Amino acid sequence: MSVPDYMQCAEDHQTVLVVVQPVGIVPEDQFFKIYKRIASVSQVSIRDSQRLLYIRYRHHYLPENNEWGDFQTHRKVVGLVCITTCGAAKDWPQTAERFHGQKEVYSSTLYDSRLLVFGLQGEIAEQQRTDVAFYPSFEECADVERRVEDFVESIFIVLESKRLDRATDKSGDKIQLLCVPFEKKDFVGLDTDSRHYKKRCQGRMRKHVGDLCLQAGMLQDALVHYHMAVELLRAVNDFLWLGAALEGLCSASVIFHYPGGTAGKTAARKPSISQPADASKRHRPGALTANGISADTSTEIGRAKNCLSPEDIIDKYKEAISYYGKYKNAGVIELEACVKAVRVLAIQKRAREASEFLQNAVYINLGQLSEEEKIQRYSILSELYELIGFHRKSAFFKRVAAMQCVAPTIPEPGWRACYKLLLETLPGYSLSLDPKDFSKGSHRGWAAVQMRLLHELVYASRRMGNPGLSVRHLSFLLQTMLDFLSDQEKKEVTQSLENYTSKCPGGMEVITLSDGLKLPPVPFTKLPIVRSVKLLNLPASLRPHKVKCLLEQNVSTASPFIYSPIIMHNRGEERCKKIDFQWVQGDVCEVQLMVYNPMPYELRVENMGLLTSGVEFESLPAALSLPAESGLYPVTLVGVPRTAGNITVNGYHTSVFGVSSDCLLEGLPSVKTSGCLVEVIPSLPRLQLSTSLPRSAHTPQPMSKEQLSSSVSVQLFNGEEQQLTITLENIGSEDIESLELTSKTVNTKDKVFGRFLSWDLEEALRHLPLKPGQTVTLSISIKVKLDFSGQENLLPDLNDDGISVTGLPISSPLRQLLKPRAENKAVSSESGKAEYSHIKTLEAVLNFKYTGGAGKVEGYYRELSLGVHVDVEPSVFFTRVSTLPATSTRQCHLLLDIFNPTEHELTVSAKNSKDLVLHPSECQRLAIQVDKFDFESLPQLYQEPASFSSPKQLEEERQHAQGCQINSKLDICWSIISLQSDYRDCMVA
Amino acid sequence: MLPFTVYFSPDVFFPQNYPLYIRSVPSQNELKFHYTVHTSLDVVEEKVSAVGKSLADQRELYLGLLYPTEDYKVYGYVTNSKVKFVIVVDSSNTSLRDNEIRSMFRKLHNSFTDVMCNPFYNPGDPILSKAFNGIVSGMMVQTS
Repeated sequence: MSVPDYMQCAEDHQTVLVVVQPVGIVPEDQFFKIYKRIASVSQVSIRDSQRLLYIRYRHHYLPENNEWGDFQTHRKVVGLVCITTCGAAKDWPQTAERFHGQKEVYSSTLYDSRLLVFGLQGEIAEQQRTDVAFYPSFEECADVERRVEDFVESIFIVLESKRLDRATDKSGDKIQLLCVPFEKKDFVGLDTDSRHYKKRCQGRMRKHVGDLCLQAGMLQDALVHYHMAVELLRAVNDFLWLGAALEGLCSASVIFHYPGGTAGKTAARKPSISQPADASKRHRPGALTANGISADTSTEIGRAKNCLSPEDIIDKYKEAISYYGKYKNAGVIELEACVKAVRVLAIQKRAREASEFLQNAVYINLGQLSEEEKIQRYSILSELYELIGFHRKSAFFKRVAAMQCVAPTIPEPGWRACYKLLLETLPGYSLSLDPKDFSKGSHRGWAAVQMRLLHELVYASRRMGNPGLSVRHLSFLLQTMLDFLSDQEKKEVTQSLENYTSKCPGGMEVITLSDGLKLPPVPFTKLPIVRSVKLLNLPASLRPHKVKCLLEQNVSTASPFIYSPIIMHNRGEERCKKIDFQWVQGDVCEVQLMVYNPMPYELRVENMGLLTSGVEFESLPAALSLPAESGLYPVTLVGVPRTAGNITVNGYHTSVFGVSSDCLLEGLPSVKTSGCLVEVIPSLPRLQLSTSLPRSAHTPQPMSKEQLSSSVSVQLFNGEEQQLTITLENIGSEDIESLELTSKTVNTKDKVFGRFLSWDLEEALRHLPLKPGQTVTLSISIKVKLDFSGQENLLPDLNDDGISVTGLPISSPLRQLLKPRAENKAVSSESGKAEYSHIKTLEAVLNFKYTGGAGKVEGYYRELSLGVHVDVEPSVFFTRVSTLPATSTRQCHLLLDIFNPTEHELTVSAKNSKDLVLHPSECQRLAIQVDKFDFESLPQLYQEPASFSSPKQLEEERQHAQGCQINSKLDICWSIISLQSDYRDCMVA
Repeated sequence: MLPFTVYFSPDVFFPQNYPLYIRSVPSQNELKFHYTVHTSLDVVEEKVSAVGKSLADQRELYLGLLYPTEDYKVYGYVTNSKVKFVIVVDSSNTSLRDNEIRSMFRKLHNSFTDVMCNPFYNPGDPILSKAFNGIVSGMMVQTS
């Protein structure tokens, strides 16, 4: 007996063994269909008694195991059911012959047999036989179960007769010695007359009768017989049979204590629990007593005494196993006893003791086992460990079984089986194949062992010829075990991953195995690790602005209150999602990721792009190479939204080592993000401007550099005028339908006279709408008129000549010079540092507002701003003004002392006067003959009194008008020949 | 001789057992010990849960011999917060009796307490403390 039946359990001792076999040609599926129907008759209630007979069916049973039938009767084949097909009547004799041949195999133990013939059409000449049943086909055999029941009853009759025969046999003087196969030769020539021998015979027979009683459903009698057998055998030191008697005792007690059975999983036994017969067995045990005689209390007391307590069962099992252990040839019996004991302990929930039995079972040597048997043995150990709740140990043995499948000694390694078994070990090592389970919190389970297992999975799946699986497992290994891999291991893993992916690129699809197990995709969220995701606003010049009035409407519809805690609360929720700027359809948008590479070598990330939802989005993938163990590294991913609406950035996708992965942000709690939802507005045109003047690095103070798309700078003398030509080109894809230009002077402490920047937009507006690619030019004149009068300390000290244009307030430096010094002081101290540099700066910002296309409909426009930076140098100073009467009373001579502060030669000309050449830093007097006029007579030309609110403004405006008047009368111009500049002097204006 | 020590994070806070500290001499064939210790957890859990029913509080921390294998003996110790300590020793080493093992565990427990008292130690992280390492090394030298 070499093949253990690992599925055995204690209650199998009360069953009778029936072998069901096919004879001749029987289709396998049909056979098993019939077998299943036969096997459904697992217990039969015997007529006229309240006993139950349990039947165990096997379709395969080794005759050598049958030889142990005397030792434990449940190993004895007592019934044979043959299934055969017989097409025609003439084949019948041959079929019958085969049946008889099959019977021969088990003839020594067989009580009864049956033959089921299928497919026979027509009649058989032979007379009706009780042991043969004919069915026209495999489908039309309604009474199979009933026939099997009859068959079982006939077995019971034989069993019962044997039991009675043996039980009453004790009066006979000669008792046959029962023995196991390997004992036979030991008893040759033994003195059969000794007391010792007789006792041995008696003991063994008692035990045998106990077995028979148990099978016949007489638990009480069985217990009594077993007890007697134990006593007899113990006295003669017949250890093997003593063990068997003890085990029988245990089995009977287990059957009594646990009527539900200990196998747990066996489906065939399950229904018996619910059957009334069983229930009665539990509640009224007396009902089952011997010979169907109704119970009385005395038997009940006897049973309780004979039956072992749950603790005793285990002790007795231990004892029995230790006796079996003395015999090398009884290894299978010992192993099976261990398994049975474990099942009992599992029911009793005594896991630790069960593990001791299992530990013992591991060491039982069954001699040379085939590889298949080894695998079976490890698998069953694993199952039993699972049963007692030792999941880790179970996983360990399952893994050993898996490794056994592919042991080097096996000519054809079963990688598929190995892989399947390895998958089953995963829960024992707290591994799941879903990377989500590992994404949060600390690591679960034992990393070193898990890594090993994953490596084995990878290898097995590769040998199975499924590189896709290998890639998936390897990716999983890399993703979840990254913290535990050494640098060397990281290198190896990635190298092999690259090898595999060269054949089979990894993707994001779910791999479904043949047995329905799904392998979820493994996104590489740690290669590289992303720390933050930030959506970037468009550059200032491309940012869309909402037309004001619409914006205000929006605010007012949101809430009539300036502040409300409820709304704040709602916004707080929204804030984490929605971002307060907009992207524009058709324009490149950017998302900045902060990434770092945890690997000890350079990491190449290819095809990195954004995953978005909401609007159609064209992601422009980027490839990047991160240095080894890099710090945080900014990466900008770009894309173009193709439609308008709300866009959500869900994550990013990468391709690393040939594995493409989609990493969703919601699965990455460690990623900081300021929001992922942004509004995309319809497309707007784009304008590019270029200027005739050089660009400058200056930025007007209150504006940040970012806000200005460009700026120009120019250096001018006071009073000089220059043309700035701006070329505007539509570089977008939409027509520019409207254009507005505004200017804003910034950073002025000095008063600017006249218009600093002036332009005529009409010309440009005529070109609208501006088609894509078209340009329009705009010329802007820059004119600087500044008051340098605070700089009198540059000039020679002035003596008041006492003669002046008396009583006339002149809007010129002159006027201030004539005023008392105290007032001048105040002015000069105020105008501060600029005095010393001689140069004053003027800055302004030109704002182009333009819009068009679909964005215009939605009320958006864009702004393009140009900074203008002008350095103003002083040109001419009038240091003194005086008048002399002229020859005509209507006229007078105006004497101007002119100072040239520049480094160039300067020519000054005026009406009715010849040019005056001034060398650098020279001061000369110019005399001009002018008509006298009265300021008061000046018409109030462009004054609208309503527009000036204060008298001071009114005064200023009047001065300005007067200055213009003077200017037109005098028409003083200066020019610097060396620079070929010729400009009107504006100083007096 | 081979002491092989492992510390598990408490069950109470981290339901998944995972090693906080592993040390073995000789260091080759370490995986085998990983398996040994990993499977021993089954027994530890079984012992703890069995005791837990009757005497929840006054439990002996030392669990004794968890199970003998052919070459090694595996001893266990569980603190009140369910931190598990496991020591594997060569079964041929007869100088180590129950009492010695018990005192080794006590020492380890004390040292572990010191580690936990470190404000910079984050419970659940692998133990990298030099002092702790020193204690373990000392025990290994002593017993070999």
